[in-house]
Amino acid sequence: MLEISDNPATSANDDPITSDPRQFSAKVNAWMPHEIMLTDAWFPLAHSFAVDKKPVRRAVYSQPFYLWRGSDGQVIAAENHPNDTLAGAKSEYTDESGHYPVLEKYGYVWGWLGTPENAAPEHVPSIPYLPEDGGLPLHMLGTVRFDCCAPLSLENLIDLTHADFIHADVVGDEKMDSETVEVFHDSETITMVRTCVNKSVAPIMKMFGGVRDDVQQVRQVIRIYLRSHAAIAYGRFSPGDNVQLFHPCVPETRDRTRLDYAMNTSNVKKSNLFRYIMPKASYKVSRQDSSMTSPQSPRYMRPEKRKDLHSPLDEAGQKYRVLMTALAERQARGDFAYRDDVSADCSDIIGYEKA
Amino acid sequence: MSEAIWWAVARSEEISAEKPFNVDIGDQPIVLWRETDGTVRALEDRCPHRRAPLSLGCILGSGAIQCGYHGWTFDGESGQLVDIPNLKSERKYPPVYKAKPFGVHESAGFVRICLDAKAPPPADDGYALPLSGTSTVALEHGQYIAALFDDPSLLISIKGVRFSPYLLAELCEQEGQLVMERSCQWASPHWPAPFTSDFPISLRIATDPVTGESDLTLRDDEFNLLLQATLAPVPGARQVTQVRWRAMLSPERPGLAAKAMGLGAPLRVHDHIDGAALRVLKPSASIHADDLREKIAARTDQQDEVA
Repeated sequence: MLEISDNPATSANDDPITSDPRQFSAKVNAWMPHEIMLTDAWFPLAHSFAVDKKPVRRAVYSQPFYLWRGSDGQVIAAENHPNDTLAGAKSEYTDESGHYPVLEKYGYVWGWLGTPENAAPEHVPSIPYLPEDGGLPLHMLGTVRFDCCAPLSLENLIDLTHADFIHADVVGDEKMDSETVEVFHDSETITMVRTCVNKSVAPIMKMFGGVRDDVQQVRQVIRIYLRSHAAIAYGRFSPGDNVQLFHPCVPETRDRTRLDYAMNTSNVKKSNLFRYIMPKASYKVSRQDSSMTSPQSPRYMRPEKRKDLHSPLDEAGQKYRVLMTALAERQARGDFAYRDDVSADCSDIIGYEKA
Repeated sequence: MSEAIWWAVARSEEISAEKPFNVDIGDQPIVLWRETDGTVRALEDRCPHRRAPLSLGCILGSGAIQCGYHGWTFDGESGQLVDIPNLKSERKYPPVYKAKPFGVHESAGFVRICLDAKAPPPADDGYALPLSGTSTVALEHGQYIAALFDDPSLLISIKGVRFSPYLLAELCEQEGQLVMERSCQWASPHWPAPFTSDFPISLRIATDPVTGESDLTLRDDEFNLLLQATLAPVPGARQVTQVRWRAMLSPERPGLAAKAMGLGAPLRVHDHIDGAALRVLKPSASIHADDLREKIAARTDQQDEVA
């Protein structure tokens, strides 16, 4: 097992986000999201409720995971379906019996893709607002899919400027007095904090959340766990209720993304429709995102001579590109160590206010 | 067009001893017929006398093919001219008096042709799937295969099945073939695919990297076989693609929707492509095909060198 303490925290010299702007820009523009395959990571493959005695099939980078519960209720994650007569040879990702390391946390079944001996519970990302034992009601959970590669989905998520345009009818448009974006990172995570002053109120909060004002103060945080391709999206709205979304983007293949989301609205009053409607907004929002990321995706499959253009609001997306590429390069060199702790409680980092 | 490739240019049912049959591989026209003992013959569909298509002629009782223009008659195996009826002579003709012969191999209900007559025959493919058909599509061969990888619904319909955009496995190489697996739904009313957690059926496509000949396997989520099919696209003249196919519905199909596949034709291979849908079809799985083909070809070349 990898011990986090064995690996020194990222030092300034190792930081791929260099202070040399030309080098940084070159890395940003060498972005090849389809070529990135990160292993030695836990992937949230399924909601716990979705796994029962009959095997369900999941995939990470086309690598099959069959999940079911044994007679003791424990989840088994196997490479082959027991009935598959066309099954190929066993991969290096499973043990002698063809099983992957697997565990349950936060209401998800997490499967380990990587060297089985390196699987360790401390590499499961921290999600402060999901109960560790799960148990959220089904109306807060759901599955949506993106017709694009997972890193593009996450780049889309961490750039919240897009929300003011393609999700304006759900979360509000770009009208506001000011907007600031701050970005923090280590070798395993990137965190973006967006603060908007006097932003036009999210229509979904106006329609269902009981917000009567025309503007609200918004602080949105996106924190991505790079290896697991999983994000937490935490928004504080005043007036309005906090939004607590777990947004994993499992790369089922290089060009298709699965999102088994959990939107914990238990902070919202039971009498408030927002508690029930907001989790369902994912169905609309995901299609809006996919309408853009799906045509984007093939345009990132091959090296491109023309550089993408960027605005100052793209800092998080640019750094996400560089960090992902750096992690992939490090893994290509045979270095799979976690240099930073992903399971340490990140409540303070995201500014999570416990109810 | 490479010489040593075996193309499934016809179904066994299409070739008879009564009437010659014309196909093409790229710009190469070919005439096929069956001798009385059932052997399939293939020559260039071009009489070396005045270039008339031999397929407009007839098959003689001897099994030779006779040009319909001046009656020149050719042996099917060697392509050698055996008779010019109006000469009324028993003379032998010089070796250059011949039509170009091609390699022929028949197995599993397909007739395969190799432009190199001396190429070793391919392995037998087992038994012939009982359902079969032919479609000719105005789409270039490579584009046809790319569309099969990216959205098979543009090319084929399977009774009661809807192909989803979501893959269980993208295109990869398995034992020299390009293999992928796509999630599918039953065509009955259902939760939309983008919001579906688990799909009840899947379609596995295993494709020859050169010919594009593809084995399709439709299975349910318990890995019960529902339908198997072989699609054999062959590049034709003017960049159309000729597709021969064979299929078999599995006799045991658990579940009502699977049983209903037996009502009517379970597989249709489209003759027409929806150009508007094709134009906006985004390349996805297909984009990796060329890389995989190059990898397989390089390895094959290396093995040939070692041999």
